[in-house]
Amino acid sequence: MQKFKYLSTFGLIVLIALFFAVAVNDVNAEVGVTDNSILVGCSNSFSGPLVYPGTQLVNNGLEAYIGYINAQGGVNGRKILTQYYDDGYKPQNAVGNTKRLVEQDKVFAILASQGTGPVMATVKYLTQNKVPLLFPFQGVPLSGQKTIFTSFTPYPNQSELVVTWLVKIKGFKRIGMLYQDDKYGYTFRDPAKKTLAKYGLKLIAAESYKRGAKDLSAQVAKLRKANLDACLLVATPPPGATFLKEAHKQGWKNTKIISSGPLTDEKYINLSGGVGEGVWGLSLWPDPVHSQDPAVIEYRKIVDKYGKDRDKTPNRYSLYGYFYAKLFVEGLKRAGKNVTRESYIAALESIKDWENGMVPPVSFSGSDHLTQNSGFMVEVQRSVFRPISGWLTLKEGTLTPLKQ
Amino acid sequence: MQQSGKWKMLGWIAALIILLILPFFLGKYSIFLLSLLAIYALVSLGLNLLMGYTGQIACGHAGFLAIGAYVTALVTANFDWLPCPVTLLLAGTISGMIGFLLGIPILRLKGFYIAMATLAFGVVVSEIILQWSSLTGGDDGFSVPTARIGSFVFDSDFKLFYLIIPVTVIMTLLAKNLVNGYIGRAFIALRESEVAAQTIGVDLAKYKTIAFAVSAFYTGVAGGLFAFLITYLSPDAFTIELSIDFIAMIVIGGMGSILGSIIGAVILTGMQQVLAGLLDLQVLIFGLSLIIFMIFMPRGIVGMIYDLKERHS
Repeated sequence: MQKFKYLSTFGLIVLIALFFAVAVNDVNAEVGVTDNSILVGCSNSFSGPLVYPGTQLVNNGLEAYIGYINAQGGVNGRKILTQYYDDGYKPQNAVGNTKRLVEQDKVFAILASQGTGPVMATVKYLTQNKVPLLFPFQGVPLSGQKTIFTSFTPYPNQSELVVTWLVKIKGFKRIGMLYQDDKYGYTFRDPAKKTLAKYGLKLIAAESYKRGAKDLSAQVAKLRKANLDACLLVATPPPGATFLKEAHKQGWKNTKIISSGPLTDEKYINLSGGVGEGVWGLSLWPDPVHSQDPAVIEYRKIVDKYGKDRDKTPNRYSLYGYFYAKLFVEGLKRAGKNVTRESYIAALESIKDWENGMVPPVSFSGSDHLTQNSGFMVEVQRSVFRPISGWLTLKEGTLTPLKQ
Repeated sequence: MQQSGKWKMLGWIAALIILLILPFFLGKYSIFLLSLLAIYALVSLGLNLLMGYTGQIACGHAGFLAIGAYVTALVTANFDWLPCPVTLLLAGTISGMIGFLLGIPILRLKGFYIAMATLAFGVVVSEIILQWSSLTGGDDGFSVPTARIGSFVFDSDFKLFYLIIPVTVIMTLLAKNLVNGYIGRAFIALRESEVAAQTIGVDLAKYKTIAFAVSAFYTGVAGGLFAFLITYLSPDAFTIELSIDFIAMIVIGGMGSILGSIIGAVILTGMQQVLAGLLDLQVLIFGLSLIIFMIFMPRGIVGMIYDLKERHS
């Protein structure tokens, strides 16, 4: 019995060693690039709370556009290969998966990973190892890193943009806010306060709720009493919907409600059971379902033909994946045949006024790695967010229109 | 008797040597994986001491992992002159004390009720971390400073391996000692029959709370190592699913067995690695495998091996 026990422990250790030595292949190869292929990938949510954005972004976004490009013969004679792992929105899994992608699969770059927690957990590792982190789907500002390129308008910028528009274009003076009482909420609240202060105004009323709260009647009542011109709604879809339903119930009609950031989406309208009519918001994308812009029509066609997920309903997540795959390919084209991680970054930085038909022309530089710093105001009309302004950005605090 | 004892020692030493020279032959990712495996084995060990040896069901150990992780991160961030083994000890002790305090009310409960109470504990810890965002960074997470002893910095997975493995080995040896000693036998008596144990003079309350405390201590230390390895913490890392994963490890490996704890951690982590690329099917296959294990090997792999041994002797 004793001998058996020590033998088994010994054997176990040897087995583990063998497993790692054999099953995990660590051959030194060029990083992700061969004569006829280039490998990219990411850790993303294929299960867990962000399974819908994750699967749509990857399967109907990245994979659809990449499938289309590969069908044309790839870029500079190279097909784009992809590798994904599921992190289920768990940061430790994202770290493990990302290390696997970099060290075992030898990807050229990490493309469009998702979620503040999972993404931020990998930043230190990726920058230390000089692996490009391209267009992760998250809103926390990330700048000053040579190897990181971010995607949509960061939350503080969104907040500033909306408040400036309300004050300068709509002439609103009495502005209030309901916000989630955590870092996410503060990321919208604090820039809003700063922007109002610039115009000699302050937040007339600000009510908060704790993440997961189900009853917002007290907050709604207080905000309603404050006689506001507009009320900013900084929440995730479930409490956002609760707020709207409660506001409707209390007969609160004479204040404009403004939804923030990721709240400005179809799912949110459906959740609120039709009481979302008239709500304003800041949109970062053209309407994926209804827009007749040629680029968006092409997106719908390509997703339909090359998308890998069964649910092919157009949405802002597959649109995100599609758009950023397209941007990735644009960089590849400019980098030419002899592409390295450094030459790729330089190629992206050389992009100026890239017309894409979806968002305002994209420009990068050595110091600017932010893809989009704009949005346009929308209003819920007949259950759909419809534009009520053109594309806008802030140039030194002044609202500046942009062409698409 | 002396002969087999000598062989046993040699076996252990050989295994240890192989383990310590492994990083020179493996790639960076494999080293990372082995380190993570050691950490999970440590949690598994702690959980087994509670569930396997004393028979109390604990569904909230991700909570203790979180406590250990955040204490380590915060202490290292604010007192970076403290050598990391001290920090780990501190994390384990705080976690152990909380486990002790949790054990006191819980020891009146039985079976499912312990499961529910510990489940709630895990959720409460996660929620506190989330809400106390001024301290923990809440949703946005917390970047863990690098582990150090004086001027030596563990700034690579390779170096961290030589922090994680020795700690794991030492704590495994301690567990073996515990289990083979009086406390261990008291634990087993508790599991087999509480009434009988009381009859022969085993203080139920005392040993149940000791079990909780020790288990929490182990998981707290593992949490500290986890923080150093993953380098970034957020409440999303410490979910009910993770607590269930730990239970799965000791069920698969074998409850009430130190070897079983390690085997369970290896198999579960290995399975997750192999399945990670399967995306949509991962959760399905994982669940099915668990069911199969429960049906064919209810006493875990170690249990199955003992059964086979019994049949052949």
